[in-house]
Order: sequence, then structure tokens, then C-alpha cells
Amino acid sequence: MSNDNLHDLLSITHLTDSAYILKMSRRGLQFRAGQHILLGKAGSIHNREYSIYSGDTEDFIEVLVKEVEDGLVSKQLKKSKPGEKMQIEGPLGFFTIEPELIKTAKFLFIATGSGIAPFHSFANSYPDINYKVLHGIRHGNEAYGKKDFDAEKYISCTSGDKSGDYHGRVTDYIKQHPVTPDSHCYLCGNFNMIHEVFDLLEQQSVHPDQIHAEVYF
Amino acid sequence: MKKIAFKTLGCRLNQYETDALASRFHSGSYEIVNYSEQADIYVINTCTVTNQSDQKSRQTINQPAKINKDAIVVVTGCMANNYKDSLLETNNISYVVDNERKSSIYSIIESHFRGEAADPEGFDKDLFNYDAAYKTFHTRSMIKIQDGCDNFCTFCIIPKVRGRATSRPAEDIYNNIREVLNYGFKEIVLTGVNIGRYKDQTTDFEQLVENILNLPGDFRLRISSIEPDGFTDRFFELFKHPKLTPHLHLCLQSGSESILLKMRRMYTAKQFSSMANRLKALYPDFNLTTDIIVGFPGETEEEFEKTVSLAKSLSFSHIHTFKYSVRSGTRAERMQEHIPEKLKNHRSAIIRTISEENKRNYILQMIGKKQRLLVERIGSDGFARGYGENYIPVKVKSKHLEKNQFVDVIITGHDKNFDGIAILA
Repeated sequence: MSNDNLHDLLSITHLTDSAYILKMSRRGLQFRAGQHILLGKAGSIHNREYSIYSGDTEDFIEVLVKEVEDGLVSKQLKKSKPGEKMQIEGPLGFFTIEPELIKTAKFLFIATGSGIAPFHSFANSYPDINYKVLHGIRHGNEAYGKKDFDAEKYISCTSGDKSGDYHGRVTDYIKQHPVTPDSHCYLCGNFNMIHEVFDLLEQQSVHPDQIHAEVYF
Repeated sequence: MKKIAFKTLGCRLNQYETDALASRFHSGSYEIVNYSEQADIYVINTCTVTNQSDQKSRQTINQPAKINKDAIVVVTGCMANNYKDSLLETNNISYVVDNERKSSIYSIIESHFRGEAADPEGFDKDLFNYDAAYKTFHTRSMIKIQDGCDNFCTFCIIPKVRGRATSRPAEDIYNNIREVLNYGFKEIVLTGVNIGRYKDQTTDFEQLVENILNLPGDFRLRISSIEPDGFTDRFFELFKHPKLTPHLHLCLQSGSESILLKMRRMYTAKQFSSMANRLKALYPDFNLTTDIIVGFPGETEEEFEKTVSLAKSLSFSHIHTFKYSVRSGTRAERMQEHIPEKLKNHRSAIIRTISEENKRNYILQMIGKKQRLLVERIGSDGFARGYGENYIPVKVKSKHLEKNQFVDVIITGHDKNFDGIAILA
């Protein structure tokens, strides 16, 4: 573990015009898949929370950033160059999986947009985990990290065109494909999706203690 | 002998820390005087949780200059962390000491009077290096078990000013409690920023509470303010122990699922209701109190009504009502649709009315029931006053009672303010 919280930016990978992955040196930073960090450029007083995208066995740390139109930090970070220092606080948060459940339970991960990040970390950290992921996006090119998931376990739900595995919102998918009550459901992404999915899951008899949410604003 | 005065604003954690500092100064031969009196040193333990807290803190900081313009004024607490630079530029403040170095204030003042460098930045950071408080401003002894918070609720500045969650070693806590029991304290109150997240190696919060309850001695234990997340069945069972008081200040904040999500709370309104109802089912007289924030950005009338509904149905005997106020650096600062002050006032008044109604009902429910009063003071009117285990205020007319004494009473009625009245059983 490093004594300071400065990490080298190793690379920046642009996935779309507005979404990109920052890959940084790990420097011994210990985290549990699903946690997030506070990230900003070194020396800046501004930082934002980003879920960790990479797995906990990698020797680097990645975050998936969606540029916010009138945002500050997401625009600053986008202009960063490899070799620059980034400031990380954390890890933080409790959007994690209980260790005893990883090998025994059935998981449903439901994301919108860049909310896929913690699930990418789950899938990479726990190769044997029994999961299905629903990824709500507008267009097929926003299926961030799709290739890193088991193809049979990943379902993109596109609302803007028919390029996804399913045409419609994740809520529509869940209505048509009810969730079994033994599922442990993790929800990450925009507020409205989480709010609606929570109600749907409860209607489908998933116990609230088995529903976990991480809201992106 | 030098005179020192303390003023505490805000939470119980601040109270604990002030108590511990006061004890340290007292044992170091300082005379502790009231804050309104002439003193050589004034210590203000500030709060910054709301705009109102900031205003109160600033007013309190300005008071010593009117009493003794030559006094040393030490500002510490969350405002010292949040507004350090601007406080350092204020003429009538001698030292600004952040939370992490608060326990060093005695050493800072001693260095000052020896004419040595007393820059607070030069002192070690230690969140838990407080002596057991024997000289307190309370009958109850507060015990700090934890500091900081990792929850990052969108409205809250506390993670910024109190830092990441840190737990005090369990053995230190047991020793601290043994010490204050030896000093004669009979009620222990666990304090921290987010005590439910306590974790020291294999000891979690529930285990810690159980271990404390099993310490020998005639005392009772009160869990103060706690976040309603992460409770297991064991937590509910703990209240069967006669030493654990049947009262929780369980922070609801909103009864609306959508607002709770926007606040990024760690529970839903349904989960909260389930916990509260389970406590009431297991322990029918259980006393639940809470915090509610009204006027969170975007709060609609319908969402507020959900809070109103829950505030009534869960019968909180006291609701600490906060009007939402923007805290710089929080996520909610950047949210849209901030609510006009007039509407916040209106909603606040509605919740306060419900709180009063609930309090009346709760006191009426307790009439005829037994309480174990811990006497806190004997008034000139001959009444001994204190709190029962359910945290209801009780007063008893008796010539034979003493401060810090347990006495079993039956609640027989209420006064006009619906504070309990009891007679000896």
C-alpha cells in the first residue's frame, strides 16, 4: 500500500465519444469488488466517486467514466495523459457481495449505462460466480465491457434501437422475464431505473434484503 | 489557578470529547467555569452539520471576546475542519484545532503557557486518545467507540469533516467503561458517527454491545443514534438483556423511497418500517426516536406525505426535524430543484406537530408502567429529575433521593409539557 494516494495514469481508452476507461497503477490499493473510489487529478480540489471497473486480482485499477455534459471532473479527467498523477481516496462503499455467497448464490446484476462498472469488477474478480447481467443502454455501442462478460450471461437491453440482445428497457425485460425469488439482485445506475426495478422485484417476491442498490447521479 | 470554559455544539460525540477534555484540564489543575464567566481559556467544540449549526458556532466563537478580550480562544470540532482557513484569519481566535488533533488541546495549551511553539499542526493525530472522563457535564458517561463515516449520504458533510470510518480497539473501550464505572457512572452511552459499522478485527457492533453488557457492575447501556442498516437477528435479541435500555434513535431522514434513494441511504422505507415494527412487536414499550430532513432537493408534496405517513405510523416519540440546508462539497449541492425556504418551514412545522402528538401518546401509554429512574439532579422544588430506561423524562418528589441513584418508579401522570411524572413504587 502506498503512503500517498497518487497513482500514475497508465492509459485512457475511449469507448465512445463520451465514455472512457482510465487505467491507473494500483500501488497496493486493496478493495472489494463493487466498491468505489474518489478520483481527481493530482493537486485538484475537485474529485468524484467512480465505481472500480477492474477485478481485484489485477495489478492495476480501472474506472469507467461517462462524461457529464455540464460536468467538471469528467471533462478534466478526459483530457488526462498517460504518466499524469491521479489522486485516489478510498476504497469506499458497501455495494459488495458477502464472501460466503459468492460460490453458492445466484446473482442478477442490473445496470444502466456506466453502472455496469461494479458488475464488470464482480465478473472479473469472481470467475466462478453464477450471474446474469442486464445492461440497459440506448444504443449497442454503449455495451461497455460486453466482451469481458460470459456471452451467455450478458443481455444488453437497448431502448434507442434494436441492436441489443433485447429491444426495450431493463424494466420491460424484467416484466417479461420474472426474476426468481432466490436471486440476489444488484442494481447500479440511474435513479429512475433503480426505483422502478426495486418495485418490480418486490412484486416478483424477491425479498428486500436480497436487493442492493448503488445510485449514480 | 487558570480558569477554562467549554462550549459544545452538535452531536454526542462532541459532548464526549468535551467531557474528556474537561477531565484532562481538571486533573491538570485548571478550574472549569461556565462559558458565560470570565476565563483564561475558552474552548468551543463546533458543529457544521447545517447552516444553523454554522451560525450558532460563529456566535459562540464571538462571545469570549466580550467577556475577556485577552483570553485564549480555541476553536475545534467539525467547523474547524470545514472552514479552517477562514477561521485562522479571524482575529479573536488563538488556535484552530482539527478533529484529528482535538485530543491534543491540553498539550497545546500547556505548550502555550510554557512559551513553547504551540502550532496544532505539530501535534499528533489521534481520534481516540482521550482520558476516561470523570469530570463531565452529564450524569451519563459517553464512550466513543468509532469515528468517521464511509456512507457518503448525498446531503452530508460529515465524511469530509470527520474522515473515513475508524473503530476504536475493543479492549480500549472495555477499559474505558471499567474506568468510568469505577468513577461511579451508572449509565453508559455509546457514541460515534456511524456506530453500527463498528468493526475491530472479529468484533462487530453486536458483539461489542454483548461484551459490554457482560461487564460486571450496576449500570445500564444506551445505544445512542444509529443508522438503520446491517442489523441481524442478534441485534434484536440484544434488547432482552436487562442492562440494555429499550430506546433507539434510529435515523429515518425520509419516508419516501425515492428521496431515500436520492439521499443514498443504505435502507428503504419498507426495510426501516420492518425493523421498527419488529422492535415494537418484540418490546411493546420500546421508545423509537428519529431524525427527519424536510425539503431535500426535489421533494414533492407526495414524497413529503410519505414521510408524514411513516412519522405517524411508526409513532416516533421524538422527531428531530431538520430543514435541508446545502452543504458545500456534497453531492446534493449539485442537485436540481432546491426547495424554497418557506415550503421547508411549512413541512418542518407539520413534522414537529406530529412529533408532539406522538410524544403525548407515548407518555400516556407509559402511565402505570414501571421505569428505573437514574436521578440526574435534585431541584430546588424538591423534585428529583432524570430519565427512565425508555429515555422518558421522569420527576419524583422525595426527600431521600440522591444524584446518580437508580430508583424504581411507576409513571403516574404527565405535566403540561408531557414530561413524565412518577411516584416511588
